[in-house]
Amino acid sequence: MSSPVRIQPDPSFVRELQAAGGESVKKCYQCATCSVACPLSPSENPYPRKEMVWAQWGLKDKLMNDIDVWLCHNCGTCSDLCPRGARPGDTLAAIRNMTYRKLVGPACIGEWMSSSKHLPKLIAIPAILFAVIWLITQGGFSIPEGDIRFGKLYPGDYTIDPLFMLIFGFMGWSFYKGVMNMWKSFKSLPETWQLGVEVEKPTVIQAIIDVVRDEIITHRKWNDCGKENTERFKGHWTLVFAFVALAIVTGVVAVSHWGSKVPGFNWLHMLGDTPMPLYSPVKLLAVAGMVLGLYGLTMLTRRRLNQDSQKSGSSFYDWYLLGVVWAVFVTGTGCFLLRLAGVAGLAYPMYYLHLISVFMLFAYLPWSKLGHLVYRTTALVYARVSGRLPLSRVEDKVFEI
Amino acid sequence: MSGNAILVVGGGFSGITAALEAAEMGYEVILVEKNPYLGGRVAQLNQYFPKLCPPSCGLEIQFQRIRSNPNVTVITMAQVTKVSGQAGNFDVTLSIKPRFVNEKCTGCNACAEAAETKVPCEFDLGMGQRKVAFRPNLFAFPMRYVFEKNRCSEAEAKKIEASCKYGAIDLNDQERTQTFKVGAVVEATGWKPYDMSKLENLGAGKLKNVISNMQMERLCAPNGPTGGLLLRPSDKAAPKRIAFVQCAGSRDENHLNYCSYICCMASLKQATYVRERVPEALVTIYYIDLRTPGRYQKFLEKVSADDKLMLVKGKVAELTESASGKVLATVENVDTGIKNVEEFDLVVLATGMQPSTAGEAVAVNTPRDEEGFFIGSPDSGVIATGCAKMPLDVMRSAQAATGAALKAIQTVAGR
Repeated sequence: MSSPVRIQPDPSFVRELQAAGGESVKKCYQCATCSVACPLSPSENPYPRKEMVWAQWGLKDKLMNDIDVWLCHNCGTCSDLCPRGARPGDTLAAIRNMTYRKLVGPACIGEWMSSSKHLPKLIAIPAILFAVIWLITQGGFSIPEGDIRFGKLYPGDYTIDPLFMLIFGFMGWSFYKGVMNMWKSFKSLPETWQLGVEVEKPTVIQAIIDVVRDEIITHRKWNDCGKENTERFKGHWTLVFAFVALAIVTGVVAVSHWGSKVPGFNWLHMLGDTPMPLYSPVKLLAVAGMVLGLYGLTMLTRRRLNQDSQKSGSSFYDWYLLGVVWAVFVTGTGCFLLRLAGVAGLAYPMYYLHLISVFMLFAYLPWSKLGHLVYRTTALVYARVSGRLPLSRVEDKVFEI
Repeated sequence: MSGNAILVVGGGFSGITAALEAAEMGYEVILVEKNPYLGGRVAQLNQYFPKLCPPSCGLEIQFQRIRSNPNVTVITMAQVTKVSGQAGNFDVTLSIKPRFVNEKCTGCNACAEAAETKVPCEFDLGMGQRKVAFRPNLFAFPMRYVFEKNRCSEAEAKKIEASCKYGAIDLNDQERTQTFKVGAVVEATGWKPYDMSKLENLGAGKLKNVISNMQMERLCAPNGPTGGLLLRPSDKAAPKRIAFVQCAGSRDENHLNYCSYICCMASLKQATYVRERVPEALVTIYYIDLRTPGRYQKFLEKVSADDKLMLVKGKVAELTESASGKVLATVENVDTGIKNVEEFDLVVLATGMQPSTAGEAVAVNTPRDEEGFFIGSPDSGVIATGCAKMPLDVMRSAQAATGAALKAIQTVAGR
């Protein structure tokens, strides 16, 4: 016997979702083409058909607890085949955007990150902050004399390092809360029943190793997606490794700087004193990261600009992230080149802009689309632990006797 | 011909009905058909719903009415190439293909027996073969053979000519044009099945055991390529598991952005064909919504009482072929939320109705919508009807055509 289920539609959630990139969701008539079109969708309760009906009804709790929106890698095959132009791919992206917005507080950051009308506030916070530091260190908006060293304007020990350590602490704490909320919500979902051959489920540690090795490093799923994905794959993969390279550079600089203050380790500063000579391997790695990043950004932006607007669209979340990452790389490249050219009058203002963009990238990260770095990874780990795997194709077996 | 004659373009059920209704009111009618026979899509069916009559049931009466009415002039193998003028005064030009068989033909079949060259049979939608000299179909009207002289050698043509003892083979037949004046035009050009090759995720027409619903009609028709036995194309075995894929092209903005109206009823009807021919076969109909309008709901109730028929909500969105020739259908059952790959011996695509003239230029100057359906503008003297205007079943085509005949009469009356 089926028991009646009382559902509570939330129309305001539907409107928010439509504003976050899922405006076509109401066109869906539940034919389930999308669930079949998706090569990553599992056989039991496949996505995205069920998400489409939940979204139409505004079933917020179901969507916010849904692991499947994170298993989607947004190749857009479902939207291409959708007979109604309901754009399931865009709807899942919108649900992820809603998760960035709602998963952790403070609620105002989530709200500000959801629409371009709040963008001036988001820019103003770091712009004022770094302008005040400039005023304090220089006693006015003047350009420091002599050779160009950004440390003259923003001394690392007293301004940049403590500030960004605070930002990273804040970001890390927010992510910790977000991941905990997420894991708890996944636990509330029914487990996958394993019939037939018993499959050993991996431990959490094993699952993390698998996800990093099998998904993040290789981006394997991108090639499993049903569509020609080369441009997107190349763009995303190079951008990820550009960030890895730049993270290593930052790490080396930080460790050598702070490490050298430990008695007996003052030789460490040899590694990462800035500005570095161009032949330094650390500098070469930074330049490689810069070039890779600009290439990746070009590929990803080109794809978004060229995509068929009848089939898929781009939301504010997409453009915010691309915009901020572009700003980080363009201003970073600008600082590097202007410093080498010796144009102090432009190099210091460029560094100011660079700090604003870096602040915007990291301080708001858990509420931006870049939050997928942590949340998708969490979902992929949980999916492995819980055994939620794509439908395997039937192999034709011919037995001859 | 004069200003109060009516031209009916298309000799299917709609065109025949419109022509007869006007002719029986005393108006002169020219009925033009592209094929060598009348009856259109209905003639190709095994049975039509809801009473599951064979097509001869309705068509025979119509042919009898045509035979006994001197007001109707039937011209087959003809296409309208030019229409100029306005309501009450149209100049029409027809292009008539050579048939190479004259009116002396008795339908004795000697020419077909003498012919050797075989070509795919259009009437059977490519499922069977026919000779180059052939009877258009068992129930053809007019009952006259066709010889495609240009598709065989000269020697074979001579042999075929010699085989006819009535002197009915005319090797000198030529393509010709004919012009006349009419007062109104009824556009009843009908529909064609949506091209399977465009349905890429459903095998693009390349999978051997995936056929269209119209091909299913031919497979089950007693005058079809298998003599009415349901045998799957790859190995001529009787299929034990059969799936119907609804909305194959219909209700899809990438293909036909409308409901084709008849396919749900057609698949339910074809499920009864399966039950009669292969009693133990399991049949599944995959649908988005089962649309059985009006009284057809009763038909749904009757057919779905079959315990070997499953109705599953969920659209088949991928068809592939296994090495052994089975068809693998991937579908999410929306009620259970399970996505699975199911194996079938035969899959029937319920391909939708597309206007016959979609994507083609037409001689009449009358507006069409973006899908190619005629919008119809009675004031212009051009009246669209039947499936050229919207997807319809046979019964509603006949009703619409009767209305079109009245509109045509109103246009020409008193001229």
